[in-house]
Amino acid sequence: MSEVILLGDEAVARGAIDAGISAAYAYPGTPSTEIYQAIQDHVKELGLTVRGLWSTNEKVALEEGVGVSYAGRRSIVSMKHVGLNVAADPFMNVAVSGAHGGLVLAVADDPSMHSSQNEQDSRYFADFAMVPCLEPGDQQQCYDFTREAFDLSEQLQVPVLLRLVTRLAHSRAAVTLAPAREQNKANYVDDPSRFTLIPANARRAYAKLVDKQPALQAYSENHAANKLMLRGEGRPGILVSGLGWNYLQEAMGDALDGYNLLRIGVYPLPVKKIRQLLDASSEVWIVEEGYPFIERYVSALGLMRERPIHGKLTGALPRMGELDSDAIKRCFGLPVNVSLQIAGLADVLVGRPPRLCDKCPHSDAYLAINEVIAQYAPGARVMGDIGCYALGYLAPYQAIHSCLCMGSSIGMAIGAAHAGMTPSLCVIGDGTFTHSGMTPLLDAARDNTNIKVFILDNSIVAMTGGQPTQVTDEEVVDLVAGLGVPREHIRVVTPSVQKKEQTLAVIREEMAYTGLSVLIARRACVTYAKQIKLYKRACGELVE
Amino acid sequence: MNYDLVLCGVGGQGVLSIAWVIDHAAHEAGLYFKQSEVHGMAQRGGAVSAFVRMSDHPVASDLIAHGAASMVLAVEPMEALRYTQLLRPDGWIVTDVTPLENDAYPQHEKLYKVLFSAPRLLVIDATRLAHKAGTVKAQNMVVLGAAAAQLPLPMALLEAQVQALFAAKGERISKANVNAFRIGAAASQFAAALLAAGVPSGVLARVLPRLMFEPQLVAQTSIDTWCERLLAPDGAQTAMRLFEAGTGIPVDGV
Repeated sequence: MSEVILLGDEAVARGAIDAGISAAYAYPGTPSTEIYQAIQDHVKELGLTVRGLWSTNEKVALEEGVGVSYAGRRSIVSMKHVGLNVAADPFMNVAVSGAHGGLVLAVADDPSMHSSQNEQDSRYFADFAMVPCLEPGDQQQCYDFTREAFDLSEQLQVPVLLRLVTRLAHSRAAVTLAPAREQNKANYVDDPSRFTLIPANARRAYAKLVDKQPALQAYSENHAANKLMLRGEGRPGILVSGLGWNYLQEAMGDALDGYNLLRIGVYPLPVKKIRQLLDASSEVWIVEEGYPFIERYVSALGLMRERPIHGKLTGALPRMGELDSDAIKRCFGLPVNVSLQIAGLADVLVGRPPRLCDKCPHSDAYLAINEVIAQYAPGARVMGDIGCYALGYLAPYQAIHSCLCMGSSIGMAIGAAHAGMTPSLCVIGDGTFTHSGMTPLLDAARDNTNIKVFILDNSIVAMTGGQPTQVTDEEVVDLVAGLGVPREHIRVVTPSVQKKEQTLAVIREEMAYTGLSVLIARRACVTYAKQIKLYKRACGELVE
Repeated sequence: MNYDLVLCGVGGQGVLSIAWVIDHAAHEAGLYFKQSEVHGMAQRGGAVSAFVRMSDHPVASDLIAHGAASMVLAVEPMEALRYTQLLRPDGWIVTDVTPLENDAYPQHEKLYKVLFSAPRLLVIDATRLAHKAGTVKAQNMVVLGAAAAQLPLPMALLEAQVQALFAAKGERISKANVNAFRIGAAASQFAAALLAAGVPSGVLARVLPRLMFEPQLVAQTSIDTWCERLLAPDGAQTAMRLFEAGTGIPVDGV
């Protein structure tokens, strides 16, 4: 037993390593990135053989994980909440096929959207797929639940979803580690029909999943982390999950002893315990981080008719954003602390939003695009995408006019062009392009759609802390050509002050052409210059 | 004992390194702690913060409640004011005086006027002091040193963790950071002595950021000299003059 200081994400990583994973896969995304990063670091440190990749995208990552499971070994696949949308297809179906070797998906939600475009709550996905969800409430539970998730996955032959949120993923505390378990020996699934979901097999497999539900329900009902604390008939009650428990303790302290409590960390929801709580309580507050998932469920049980329920749907707690202890205090009518007052504060405090770094190649690319647009197509729209370059939406660039989801820029530009928008422009980073920009570009190439695609190639996945990209430099050109874009309309420019005139000339030329052009603005990220060199050296591309 | 601490600054200023030192010192000291931080988009030159919560009981929330923090420890003066709603009415602000400007940054004079009105305040020129210690990047360790005496952790434990954090970066960087920490500690020892002698906070706030400290405690004779100067009838004007002159003055050089 040893105690170490770990981020919630790192505690998940250590839990997975100590549970005996043989492989790990991920696509970087805040707040989940540090899970795979920590696995890489610790594996090196511990001298273990754990295969892994920053996968091309979350769908691929999960499919790789399913392959490990098929071969009888354990793997963890990590992603941010919106990444699970990308991986939804294998996720929904591996729920049906079931797991063989332990398969755990660590998915980090981002309530308050610190680094995301929505607040979607992954507990719905677990419920949708009819698989268990473990929701740790502190760093120790991150470690313990991750280990347990693997055992559960093998015991009931289901993938298990581990739901994290930003404030746990990115918060540190001391964690006690337990002795590590050996990796599984390879042991291929004996009945391949399980993973061959043609309708005849799928019906059988789905029936199995349905049949597993009582066992999952029993697991959750009997789990120590779903703790029912009845203090007396007719007292007020609180149903609380995940980080809500921490904020509740912080806000209420000893006053909690006067309430009937049910603390939830394991799903499917323990319906019996919920009924017991509701039956014993005069009124019930529901405190959960994320969407009102439990609250809707409880409402549907019909048990709230006789007693008032207070939660996010009723307005007792904020519907949006993450919880904190002050929100709980307000909800229960408790006074919020007085804080230091300084006169004139508002006059001298201005916002400090993130911005592109000094000398960032994206800024030169945007200045060039803006200049050509101002000259030849004032008012033209540029579809944007996810990455550092989304900051191009802000002043002084104001260069992009959409940012929906990974890879959306190209598809949206195609649709807008079909709707008559000329010119139809879009920008996408090199990392995002291989994540999910290649398939829409294939569409554009088949159709020779009149769009201008700028691939902002900075040789790194920068926003999430500098992960390697799948292809670099000329490989990007070859990839684009391979998708069917004519080489004469694949133009490489250098976004820099020195090369500005050449860049402008190339953009003008391609704007004059009616058809698909791909302009690759290639210059390495200045912030991660060192990592880029390291990665290239590792690939043997850089000889010094 | 509960001690909530807000660390803040701008992405790239080393706020998370301060957090690392305090986490490990708290752990060594046998305290419970939780420390939350910001990753991702905000790190691109945006405002960043980290919360450290220490206690002799298990810590529940990863976040700091309104009016609960004992200190805001900042590496940038405007950022020092961004989290005052979390500060207790008797809480401290410890900050570097050096602005890192962005769009619409307030006039320095106006900013300082508001900042210097904070009742419990320690403002130093951590950037200049760090440069003197051997690397301007150690400004974070200077402000940590300045805050150290107030934290519920032994000074020696903190210093040992500073050393541990930079050990891998070589002798020169490690030494510069330890010196930066000690210089900050000297500034806080000096400030505490002057406040105890009755020098008003608003007066000290204008003198302290102009003083150059050594990585050792300030001699009593220097403390006495500065007390005399600043408690004189024209002490406030002296402070104003020194602050506006902007030059660094050796604390022992009067």
